Amino acid sequence: MIEKLLAAIKKETLILLRDRVGLSSLFIMPMVLIFVMTLIQDSAFKTLNEKGILIVFVNNDKDSMGYAIEQGLRSSSLCSFHDSINGVPATEESAKKAVTDGKFLVGVIIPKGATQAIRNNVTKLVQQTLNTDSVPVASDKSSVKDSVDITIFVDPITKKSFLTSVSSTLREFVSNIKTKIMFKTFADQLAEIIPDKKKTPYNAFGQTQIIKFSEVYASKGFGEIVPNSVQHNVPAWTIFAMFFIVLPLAGSMVKEKNEGSVFRLHTMPSSFLILINGKIVVYVIVCLLQFALMLSVGLVFLPMLGLPVLDIGNSIPGVLILSSATAFAATGFGVMMGTIANTEQQGAITGSLSVLLLSAIGGIWVPTYVMPEVMRHISVVSPLNWALSGFYELFLRGGGVKDIIIDSVKLMIFFVATMSVASIVNRIKRKV
Amino acid sequence: MNNDSIIEIKNLSKTFIGAFEPAVKNLSLTIQRNEIFGLLGPNGAGKTTTISILCGLFPPTSGQVTINGLNLHNDLEGIKQIVGVVPQDIALYPTLTGRENLNFYGHMYGLKGKQLKDKIDVWLSNFGLTEASNRRVSGYSGGMKRRVNLIAGILHSPKVLFLDEPTVGVDVQSRNVIIEYLKELNRQGTTIIYTSHHMDEAEHFCSRVAIIDNGNIIIEGSPKQLVNDNEGCSNLENVFLKLTNKALRD
Repeated sequence: MIEKLLAAIKKETLILLRDRVGLSSLFIMPMVLIFVMTLIQDSAFKTLNEKGILIVFVNNDKDSMGYAIEQGLRSSSLCSFHDSINGVPATEESAKKAVTDGKFLVGVIIPKGATQAIRNNVTKLVQQTLNTDSVPVASDKSSVKDSVDITIFVDPITKKSFLTSVSSTLREFVSNIKTKIMFKTFADQLAEIIPDKKKTPYNAFGQTQIIKFSEVYASKGFGEIVPNSVQHNVPAWTIFAMFFIVLPLAGSMVKEKNEGSVFRLHTMPSSFLILINGKIVVYVIVCLLQFALMLSVGLVFLPMLGLPVLDIGNSIPGVLILSSATAFAATGFGVMMGTIANTEQQGAITGSLSVLLLSAIGGIWVPTYVMPEVMRHISVVSPLNWALSGFYELFLRGGGVKDIIIDSVKLMIFFVATMSVASIVNRIKRKV
Repeated sequence: MNNDSIIEIKNLSKTFIGAFEPAVKNLSLTIQRNEIFGLLGPNGAGKTTTISILCGLFPPTSGQVTINGLNLHNDLEGIKQIVGVVPQDIALYPTLTGRENLNFYGHMYGLKGKQLKDKIDVWLSNFGLTEASNRRVSGYSGGMKRRVNLIAGILHSPKVLFLDEPTVGVDVQSRNVIIEYLKELNRQGTTIIYTSHHMDEAEHFCSRVAIIDNGNIIIEGSPKQLVNDNEGCSNLENVFLKLTNKALRD
């Protein structure tokens, strides 16, 4: 029995080693995928964080709020600030045209009298609150609007998340200046009511930061693991690559059926299971080699390109258990597809599409937390989702064996289920 | 089962799922030990179905089969030990060498170590393949592939050998070598059940033949006897055409 299994393993290994195109698809393509996806996402982060969103700014207000927003945008790392186009001060029309032409992602127009409108609003509010008529109101009431319309031109290609960031920043600036004006008005009113009271400086409120935010990434282990494109992409695309083993595996099974080898093997005093076990052993090892290679990409090669080093967490046993369970699940899926498919084309098309589908719903392409609720419920049926959530436990949350054991068990149950389906389909097909 | 028969088939029938007509209909046949038995028939006559049932590829719908005293229904694994099959298709792995293919199939028959190596060496030498044995099968000629395909079915010295068109698509030299070594195998005690469309080859190679059509045997006997019994026939091909008529088959 052992000799037969070893012979099957040797046969499968030789066939695999001599299929150079197949080998490259198993090892080189996933490496390239990880490089490309990580670099793209890292670059996207840098566009936002380092280079900033290209913004053209038109300050028609020429007063406190306009200057405060201008100063805020200039100093913000979110933006690459411009108030002129081709050396000419930007106007509302030229800014709109520049954004339409794609020269800027966002154009911000602060209307004339914006600060004065806020002052008027605040003054009214203060008067109502203190019930006094002594506060001076705007000299030219008719020329000042009660509301402020800040126009934002947006290039249609701009991501919604970028736009949300800009809007939030503007709201923060407006809110800040409004608060300052309100504080000053209150202070002035109080000074009139209580003349001996020492005046509070105009910007005292702004200097007092009462609430501070500290971002700490929650981690189960020792130390903090900082999420970045490498931490997210390496496990996700490694799982994707491991499941893509369905293509060569299903292909080899269909080829054996069509070339007559399976016919011959069915007439031999050997269990067909030996042949399948030979395949499982070889392809599980291939999956684990893929995994090791992809980790080495994250640990060694991506840092050479200036990307962060992959942090594999604190639990090597956890990594071994989860990667093995993922390898078995991927191999079982390949055996099932190879048993169901009747032609190599069927195996290739159904195999690749099913992996794409399972990866999409499993959160490989888009994180499940941004999916609609229905899709989030569906995503839990994808084995790629179990593997991914397990690796996130290890690589992002610093979890250990106990944190990935449920995902690993699910993956092994998936392996057993796919092998059972393969066995049933094989029996049905032979029952001619 | 008498002492001289190695295969006994009684009322064998096979209807494939979804098929309107049975592929094999109530077929009964006895094959003697050490015979070279030819199962001849036009396309779709039921030859391959019969052989596939005999070598355990799929079960019959009804009927009884015993091979060397073993019941097909109860002792399939035992039958597989003593049976060799050479399929019509080249059932080899093209990216493996001839030797690697034989090594794998030899192991699947339960052979191992020096015994397996010696057998592979002998058969490769017999079939003139020693020099090519470490080349990949994908680079072999049709005749060479056919010879390796044959060796893979006889490595374990089977008592019964099923040959499905073993010489199809090969040149005269390869066919001659194959037929000669099959005769040698037969002399050493292997019973051969052979299907072919080469009537001339069957006439000279087989000790007895059966002509099968529409799933049943329509005549059996030695080639000479069949030729003599059918008036106006000078060879087995004439007999075949006379009994199966000249209409084209699917």
